[in-house]
Amino acid sequence: MKNGFRVFLAALIALGASWCGFVLAPVLQLGGTKQTTILNSPDLYPVGRPGEANQGLQVYRTHGCAACHTEQVQQSGVACDLVLTSAGNNPMAVTNAISSLKLNDLDKDAADAAVDKITAVGGKAEIHIVATGPDVARGWGRRHSIAEDYLYDDPVQLGSVRIGPDLADVGARLPDANWQLVHLYAPQSVVKDSAMPPFRYLFRIQKIGRAPSPNALVFPKGFGPPAGYEVVPTARAQELVAYLLSLRADVPLHDAPFTQPLAASKP
Amino acid sequence: MSDELKSNTPQRPDLEPTASRSPVPIWIVVLTLTLLFLVMVYFDRHSGWFNSQVYGPYVSAEELESYQPKSGEAAMLANGKARYDQVCGLCHGADGMGKPNQAPPLAGSEWVNTKSFRRVASIPLEGVNGSLEVKGQTWNLSMPAMGAAMSDSDLADVLTYIRNSWGNQGSPVTTDDVKVIRAKIGAHPQPLTGEVLKALPE
Repeated sequence: MKNGFRVFLAALIALGASWCGFVLAPVLQLGGTKQTTILNSPDLYPVGRPGEANQGLQVYRTHGCAACHTEQVQQSGVACDLVLTSAGNNPMAVTNAISSLKLNDLDKDAADAAVDKITAVGGKAEIHIVATGPDVARGWGRRHSIAEDYLYDDPVQLGSVRIGPDLADVGARLPDANWQLVHLYAPQSVVKDSAMPPFRYLFRIQKIGRAPSPNALVFPKGFGPPAGYEVVPTARAQELVAYLLSLRADVPLHDAPFTQPLAASKP
Repeated sequence: MSDELKSNTPQRPDLEPTASRSPVPIWIVVLTLTLLFLVMVYFDRHSGWFNSQVYGPYVSAEELESYQPKSGEAAMLANGKARYDQVCGLCHGADGMGKPNQAPPLAGSEWVNTKSFRRVASIPLEGVNGSLEVKGQTWNLSMPAMGAAMSDSDLADVLTYIRNSWGNQGSPVTTDDVKVIRAKIGAHPQPLTGEVLKALPE
């Protein structure tokens, strides 16, 4: 081979360039990711999962859940909503002002201009930041996923196919442990037309002893085991549900801001 | 004699094929440069300059910054709750119900649901000593000036949170309001007691 050294050099450059692009650049960009603080709060995010939920991540992995479920919420845009907080001393003027204004789905500059107009007539308005996009519209999350969401996942179960819904925020969306267990045992009993296969081998059907087990599943009408029997989850099922319930991406962060509705001020 | 052994034939199999040196067609150069230019334009618009904090749909750190929820009433209350839980909640409770024999309840208290901020803002800034009647019960208090070390804006947020939580309904307290009260520390008899507080405008 006459140009052996040149071929070697060309291959080295080609492989080296892709290594820089696919390995080095992401590590430089996100390798130092650490906990961040929640917006308007001193609390850190994320906190590590409890041990049972960590085990559940391995159950999730074992059963190939990531083949049909993703854990990444996408966001295609951001919008501002105006919320009137005070009508001031001249409610009529404020009403006139807002009747000519668009209040939802504004961009930042339009929202600022609208707030100025309302303030000029004595009212008070707040700008609420809202994430938009198909995933948000489906209720799969309030914001897009960011690198910090996966800080304590090993391995990260991003997934790429959405035969089922995205699970990045499932713990906030469906926080009922019994619902999750029933759904694993018989998906169609709680989600009609679900395409999910039942995971019955994660459960035991047993005769009710002297008293029903405290962790026996509570089924919707017409779906339970025959009378005198009960369905109890195995440790695997409980770990998996603990993991699912720990999947919460519902707090606003600097990298993914949105306005959190205030639950605390309610009595 | 087989073919392989013939060495001096015109088509020698071990001869490496060569290409003649010809210049790269100009259209390839133009196409490559155009693509590079478009790639650079795309990067400029969408990369966020490789900032690890910028995700789509945001395109720059400045844009992300402009969409941070600003301090409105909701942000005030959120910050107020955080500070309250850190400082005040230990005695007055996260639910505002207080602690028997130690801290009176804030929920529904006549000292919190006042018309103005004069009385309620003086309490964390100066503390309360002696007896104080809250919701029909007499408390013998020795509350230190827990809010004196807080910044004006934090204290304003806490007071706004207290006055708008657990069923309380009071007007918001602004940073300027707290400044006014802080300037008046010592303008009335010390220590702050029920009688002194009553003398303040409601």
